[in-house]
Amino acid sequence: MSRTKKDRLIQMAPHFYGFKPQGVPCKTGEDVCINFEEYEALNLCDYELLTQAEAAKLMNISRPTFTRIYESVRRKIAKAFIEGSCIHFEGGNVTIANWFKCNHCRIVFTFAENAKKLCPFCKSEILTENN
Amino acid sequence: MIIAIATNKQDIKAMVDPHFGRCEWYCLFDTETRESLFIENPLCNNQEKAGCNAAELLVGKNIKMAIAGRFGSKVVEVFRKNNIQMVIPETQKTVAEIINQIK
Repeated sequence: MSRTKKDRLIQMAPHFYGFKPQGVPCKTGEDVCINFEEYEALNLCDYELLTQAEAAKLMNISRPTFTRIYESVRRKIAKAFIEGSCIHFEGGNVTIANWFKCNHCRIVFTFAENAKKLCPFCKSEILTENN
Repeated sequence: MIIAIATNKQDIKAMVDPHFGRCEWYCLFDTETRESLFIENPLCNNQEKAGCNAAELLVGKNIKMAIAGRFGSKVVEVFRKNNIQMVIPETQKTVAEIINQIK
């Protein structure tokens, strides 16, 4: 049996489900799946412009592992772009860092340490973890 | 409690900015007096570390909660270290709408 993967820490899951190409019908079965750790790797490296070492530290993984994830997402995106397939975001071994959601106010938020677990706007206690 | 809301104009009817570090103004709203004060973000066009420095500037103003469309990873780190709550509205809202939601 292979060794189980460590959970990667991500700050936030994407708030949409994926992309589809314009002008061609989407063929099912040929979709590209990008998992959440790959999305986060791309975000940290190319959107927030961190170095790979800094990004790896934020995700709680080693630098070589980060490089592997980053390379994999770049290849997947290239494949989707060239072949014109849909991109889905799903899966992966991740834990999402303590963001909560209030469905009534439609907001996502964190808590300060030792604070009561209430929605900051409507004070409702009905919260879901954002993942 | 003082709340910082990221926005792009010095106007209470302006939209909440989609990105914390790159917005031009912050609205500091005091929940006790219900007054709002606008401060300019001097670093919004910096190449690097705009969010990080803006976060530190706001920490200096004793804020307890920050509201913006999204927070960069370095900003999250600064805010978590200083025990500041972060809030992301899921739909586009104006500063005034947010203020009205806060009781």
